[in-house]
Amino acid sequence: MTDISQISTFPITCHSWNADKSLVALSLNDNDVRIYKRDGTGKWNCLHTLEGHSNRVTGIDWGVKNNKIVTCGADRNAYVWQLQDNKWKPTLVLLRLNRAATCVRWSPNEAKFAVGSAARIISICYYEEENNWWLCKHIKKPIRSTVLSVDWHPNNVILAAGTSDYKARVFSAYVKEIEAKPEASTWGKKLVFGNLLAEFPAGTGNGGWVHSVSFSPNGNKLAWVGHCSSIAAADSASDNQVAILDCNLLPMVTCLWVTENSIVGAGFDCQPLLFSHGGGQLSLVAGLDSKVSSKEKTVTAMSMFKDMDKKGAGEVSTSVATKHQSAINEIRSVSKGSKGVNKISTSGTDGQMIVWNLDSLEKSIEGLRIS
Amino acid sequence: KNQVRNTLDATLNLQSFDSQLVERHNKPEVELKTSKELLLTPIVIPKSETEGVLIEPSVNSLRISIKIKQSDEIEKILTKKFTRFLCQRAEQFKILRRKPIEGYDISFLITNTNTEQMFKHKIIDFIISFLDDIDKEINDMKLAVNARARSTAENFLKNF
Repeated sequence: MTDISQISTFPITCHSWNADKSLVALSLNDNDVRIYKRDGTGKWNCLHTLEGHSNRVTGIDWGVKNNKIVTCGADRNAYVWQLQDNKWKPTLVLLRLNRAATCVRWSPNEAKFAVGSAARIISICYYEEENNWWLCKHIKKPIRSTVLSVDWHPNNVILAAGTSDYKARVFSAYVKEIEAKPEASTWGKKLVFGNLLAEFPAGTGNGGWVHSVSFSPNGNKLAWVGHCSSIAAADSASDNQVAILDCNLLPMVTCLWVTENSIVGAGFDCQPLLFSHGGGQLSLVAGLDSKVSSKEKTVTAMSMFKDMDKKGAGEVSTSVATKHQSAINEIRSVSKGSKGVNKISTSGTDGQMIVWNLDSLEKSIEGLRIS
Repeated sequence: KNQVRNTLDATLNLQSFDSQLVERHNKPEVELKTSKELLLTPIVIPKSETEGVLIEPSVNSLRISIKIKQSDEIEKILTKKFTRFLCQRAEQFKILRRKPIEGYDISFLITNTNTEQMFKHKIIDFIISFLDDIDKEINDMKLAVNARARSTAENFLKNF
């Protein structure tokens, strides 16, 4: 049902699946990207180690169509990796950034990708055939702080970005060098490169840092999660109407639409949560880890030291009730069924990667209905 | 105590955050205070007029400063010596700060690397038990000092 894999004791910073979901590329909070393959017994083995970054890898995206992996790191660089003779060869991308890169995503047709950075810039990179390298264009205004996440609209031209200046924004990333003029979308008609199409606050009041943004499968809706423990969704088809839900939970750092009306968010609560968007309202449906069971976890040396420090008898439990022992930091879709995404994977700072089967969870958890 | 625990639970949600101002740097924002938008509002939880806890959160780090109750001279000296002893061994403690913040007796600095290596709920348990124990420790030490003073004075005056 839910497939739990303890990949390592180090936090998994980010992960991405390949086209047939047999391999996963992830980074263990260090400078390398590792590609893991599942063997017959269900254990994950590291197949390749992609070394190239000189600082922490902050984002990985595996293009399902072109089988290229793009990675970005805190060393201000991004590499595009290609498989040649069973080895992954990197190509440096000139991002022209002077601060760390924080997140990267291929566009739907995979001819370009967007990189968000701490330099308050989004770099849109595309391949130039004549010179055989990747060029980039910058989106600067009106971003005033680090870009924490980016997501593409299915029409390949519109991009959403969540930043730590408490705003979620929608831009046009139309690169005329490589694309035909796009049709007008529900988000806006003027699709000049870098044009700000919409700007939304993170939540009610001042809001918080927008950790993640996500477009719905047909692109009409945009969801974002903020550090103020809120999740919000805007519907461009109904005139950018915004629905905000302030949750009584710890902040979420990642979100993903599974159908046109359901969003899964996850973060410091260590479990994925299902939200439903309908009629201009957002509501929490259920947590995907509702059946909590205590699990014996491998104890880290530091927590053992702290336990010995504590006075008093009584059982000292080092495990948390949810499957993830620590914060979840990325959700990816693994497979799609008839209704929408039916399997998602979450990776966390406890080094675990868990694949959740939404169809079977829907049957087993009361009240969990994916609309 | 519950208030401190709840506040820590809500604010100890730290993520790695590379510096916006200096390239290739990844420093605790609560110490540098360079970008206002990355800091959260500081919270003061007073237990009485003389005791309290100050919590300053930010995106990748948290600073907790504790003011311990010191009602007389002996307690003041004992607190100073005790906190100095702990702070000199701050390396071992990992989350302890070598110098307390102005106006407080001892400070902890917890960064995202600490939460990545240790369980968050265990760090919170540790801080709460520290708050509980420190008052008791100071009281015990004061009683011990008084008892020693009394017994040495008694033994000295026996000669007369």
